Parts: sequence; C-alpha cells; structure tokens
Amino acid sequence: MREAIQREIFNYLTKKGIENFIGVPDSTMKYFVDQGLKKKRVIIATREEEAIGIAVGMSLSKSPSLVFMQNAGFANSLSTIASLVQLYNIPVIFLISWRGHLKNDAPEHTKIGRIQPTLLKSLSLKSKILSENGWVKECSWALNKFREGQCCALIIKRDFLD
Amino acid sequence: MIRKEAVEIVSKTLKNQLVVAANGYISRDLFEVSDKPSNFYMIGSMGLASSIGLGLALKNPRKRIYVFDGDGNILMNLGSLVTIGSLKPKNLVHIIYDNGVHESTGSQPTNSKNIRLDIIAKASNYKVFRTRSKHHLNSLLKKIKKLVGPILILVIIEKGTNVSRRINLEPIEIKNRFMHSLKRI
Repeated sequence: MREAIQREIFNYLTKKGIENFIGVPDSTMKYFVDQGLKKKRVIIATREEEAIGIAVGMSLSKSPSLVFMQNAGFANSLSTIASLVQLYNIPVIFLISWRGHLKNDAPEHTKIGRIQPTLLKSLSLKSKILSENGWVKECSWALNKFREGQCCALIIKRDFLD
Repeated sequence: MIRKEAVEIVSKTLKNQLVVAANGYISRDLFEVSDKPSNFYMIGSMGLASSIGLGLALKNPRKRIYVFDGDGNILMNLGSLVTIGSLKPKNLVHIIYDNGVHESTGSQPTNSKNIRLDIIAKASNYKVFRTRSKHHLNSLLKKIKKLVGPILILVIIEKGTNVSRRINLEPIEIKNRFMHSLKRI
C-alpha cells in the first residue's frame, strides 16, 4: 500500500478517536507505524501478546487502542485473542499484515500467509482487507465494530517482495 | 510464608486499590482472601498481568496500579520488564510471588531459582526490593507508599498445599465491576 495512503489511514483513525497504537512493526505497514511514531502515539512492544495486554489495560481505562502486527505475530497471538480479548469482550482493533499471499514470497511467509484467512475465521475474528480506493469505508467499518464494543481486524496486504 | 499468606498481607494493606492478578493460583488466592471489584482476575492468557497493568498505569497516572505476578508468569513475558522499564510508569507496583514452581500444573520447576529476577528488573529501571518474611513484607509495603515507580517487590514464598477455590465470576462481570471501580477510585 502506498506511503501516502498509509499515513492518511493513521491520521484518519486518530481523528476518529483511536488514541493508542501498540504493536510490533512490519515493513508492510512501515509508513503507518512511522506516522504514529512522528505523532508520538506508538508503543513498540517486545511481542504481539504483550502489545495486546497493554491495549487491554488501556481499553479498560476507556482509551481506544489499535494493535498492529505481522501475520506471524498474529499466529503467536491466537491464545491471547481468544482467552483475553474475546473472553472478556474487550474492544480492540487489530491491524494485521498479510505476507505470503503473493507467489514466490519468502518461505517463512508462505505457510502462515496461506492459513491466515482460516485462522481469522476459526477465531471468529471479523476482518476486512484495506484497499487503496476503499480504505475509508473499511476503517469506518472497524470503528463501528469498535464502538459496538467488539474487536475486529483490518488486513494490510504485502504487495511487494524483497 | 506461603503465597496465600503473602497475597493476604498485601491485599489487606492495599484496601480498595486497583490490582491486576495473574492467572492460576494467584488470582484464586486473591479471590478467596479478599474479593473486591477493584481486583481484575485473569483467567488464561498467562504472562500478561504486567502488560495489562502497564496499559492501566499509563492511562491512569494519578492512580496506583498493583500487579500480582508469579515467577512462571513473568518468565513467560520477560520483555514486559523491558517495556515497563522504558516507559517508567511512576504509579506501577509489580509484586512477584516467587515459589520457583508452576504450582497449578503440578509443581514443575520454573527457572527462577537459577537466575536473579530482581537484578533483571533493576537493570530495567525498576526500584527493587526482595523479601521472604511477613514482617519485612509489611514494612516494605509502608516504605513504597512514598516511592516513585516502577517498583518491584520480589516475595520469595514456599510452595503451598491447599488450593483456593475457582473464581466463580464470569469474565465479563470481572471486567465490568473493575471498570466501574476504576472510575470511582
């Protein structure tokens, strides 16, 4: 996703009331994270589960939070999403990259990339893929879920190989 | 001193202050000795009590947040000490009850006896205290009232024999009453 759009998405979510952005970075969303670092709204955690824990503490304080992570980190977080976020019904927006959906991607991306949609479905974690033309609509969908007190995920595709 | 005794001493001193209690027997002991709406009991998601405590501490700078952690729990999320030590929340008090075992799964050993958790925390910008006696624990709890966090009290405890009862509250109820007391305190 283009740099300008990633930065706009960050600004949009902030304007709509998301106060905290906590996570583990990924090159797929590096401009999004960079925008947050510039605005001093980002906490970089050591692991994704830790980021989710911090976001839960903030959410209990009624301060809206987004947790960003690579899809490998999403796989790390399955238990935390199920037995903390969903069990206690805590609203959090996840921003998860989708590495490994392209052909010829690196071997460490391929397997998780292939099973990612199934993992989301198994968790019953509702998600939408961010698009360059429809991101406002997709972000509004996530914000609405959040306001209803639910957790959900926005997916950012990795459209390059390195 | 066994964990339940240590948990009781701390919890009685804290009265209605906010506590995030790690999953397993720590939450169960706290529930049994002193159940209060200001206790957030974790069920599952082992290791994350200190992270939830950090999120709370950052968003409620005028309220003290106490984390009741275990050795097995913190060893699962050692990175948390690094993040807490980097953000330095003045209002976070981290209490680790260290019995050297995963008691709730059959007392298999953790590695806490082979390393120095207190020194790791000290290197991560915590003010650190270590105790194994009830009397000393009581005096430490008085002492830290005036200190600025992050603070760690490592309480060395003996393995217990009795098991406290399960928490009979629904997770959503635990959350709702905690959020309510967070507003009032």
